[in-house]
Amino acid sequence: MRERAALRRLPGVGLCLVILLLGGAARAQVASLDVSSAFFLEPSAHSQLTVINPSAKLNVVAADWLSFQGNYEADIVSGASESLKGGRLSNVDIVTSATNFSDARHAVTGGFTVTRAATHLSGSYTYGTEHDYRSNGFALSAGTDFLQKNTQIELSYGRGFDQVCTTAFSAADAPSARLALDNSNGCFTDDKKRAARAISLNNFQVGWTQIWTPQFATQFVLSAALQHGFLGNPYRSVVIASAGDQALENHPENRARGAIGVRGKYYARGLQTAFTAGARLYRDTWAIFGQTYELDAERYVLPWLRLLVRGRYYTQTGALFWSDDYTGGEPESGPRGQYWSGDRELSPLSSYLVGERAIATLEGGRPGARIAGLFLSCNASVGFDVLKTNLRDFTLGGRKPDDTLALLGTLGFNGEF
Amino acid sequence: MTMGNSQNLDRASRLPLLLLVVWLVLLGAGCATVRPEQRAILADPTMQFDAPSPEQAALDHTLDNREGSTGGGSVKGGGCGCN
Repeated sequence: MRERAALRRLPGVGLCLVILLLGGAARAQVASLDVSSAFFLEPSAHSQLTVINPSAKLNVVAADWLSFQGNYEADIVSGASESLKGGRLSNVDIVTSATNFSDARHAVTGGFTVTRAATHLSGSYTYGTEHDYRSNGFALSAGTDFLQKNTQIELSYGRGFDQVCTTAFSAADAPSARLALDNSNGCFTDDKKRAARAISLNNFQVGWTQIWTPQFATQFVLSAALQHGFLGNPYRSVVIASAGDQALENHPENRARGAIGVRGKYYARGLQTAFTAGARLYRDTWAIFGQTYELDAERYVLPWLRLLVRGRYYTQTGALFWSDDYTGGEPESGPRGQYWSGDRELSPLSSYLVGERAIATLEGGRPGARIAGLFLSCNASVGFDVLKTNLRDFTLGGRKPDDTLALLGTLGFNGEF
Repeated sequence: MTMGNSQNLDRASRLPLLLLVVWLVLLGAGCATVRPEQRAILADPTMQFDAPSPEQAALDHTLDNREGSTGGGSVKGGGCGCN
């Protein structure tokens, strides 16, 4: 009984500890708040997609060596999507199968960072939920600098335990007999028509940043990820027979992914502009080979306002088992072994992105002065990007999709107090 | 000898060369000494590699959902080295 009472007091004791730590922080700097929102729009006559992504992040410095982070973000998605995929040979009207949907994902993160001399260690936990998907993620990262702080190494590891809702097929059911979800009603309840499938995620990353001269620095990033579980879209069916038979998308249950990124930053004194050039190579066990090339330039147009413009080109090969049409014909269209997919992101494609971002920074003036009596410094940003995708082989019943232009706007505010 | 074995041998013979290149690059990194008083430009926000800001994270999230690849993005680094 006494033990149970002690357990009940534990949350209160924890809260007091946090308040004491924050109280210590209130005497010095401090905290920072990031609030932002992104708006994504993919205009289309049949399947317009809109996403609003608000987020807020608070960082509190409890002591010289310890800080805490809290983060909330949401994805509010609405639009229409084609839940059935067929290719050039399909005799099914795919476009009119588009159905309206709306959903919201909420994710909260709590974390800490311990800093000692030249090293730091961070840990965090994230819980995400939506009607048909749940995620639990843990992340650890550690970093250090040496060689007179000209070299920095950052290591991180993330572990995810996710669940996705599907129809209640059993492992013994043939993939060709499995049905797609038509809505998320009954997901994560004891509804016998629904099942929760596990997805296991492991992410590793190493980052090496090197300063070479007073105006040139480089960064090398190596990432690897292992995914295991239900990796398809539970809503999407694919036409797999010339008679029009449909079955739930069937992807392999394992995927290993790796990427190498190299980028360099150079400040051109004559132009008073910082240039960044980067390249990334990606490869996975589904045989997707991706290449990304990026270039951006950033400079101050006013002492308090800086402007960034960027361009990006991306190209990838298709997954080994991807086909525009699984109903016949070899090898351009036709079955590819035991798997089938309607995912256009697994098809051969390329994309161009151009964008800009303006960032305004305000500081309190004299040391310790506060803006609006609250912030030591603050900055606000506004950004706009256009992404155009070229789907080389993907069609919806032989027609090229018209939702290949995406517009992305972002608004951000950061304040330190 | 099968084609697979020959490819494995090719890869194995390239490994020492790769390690040599990595060693030379690391050696070069050790020679690069930029003193703190020379880091005024590097300390500017335009010259820092940042962990993704919320706005950048939103863009990355969009690209992850529109492309078949992920990873290899920017991590925090660079700057004045004054903390």
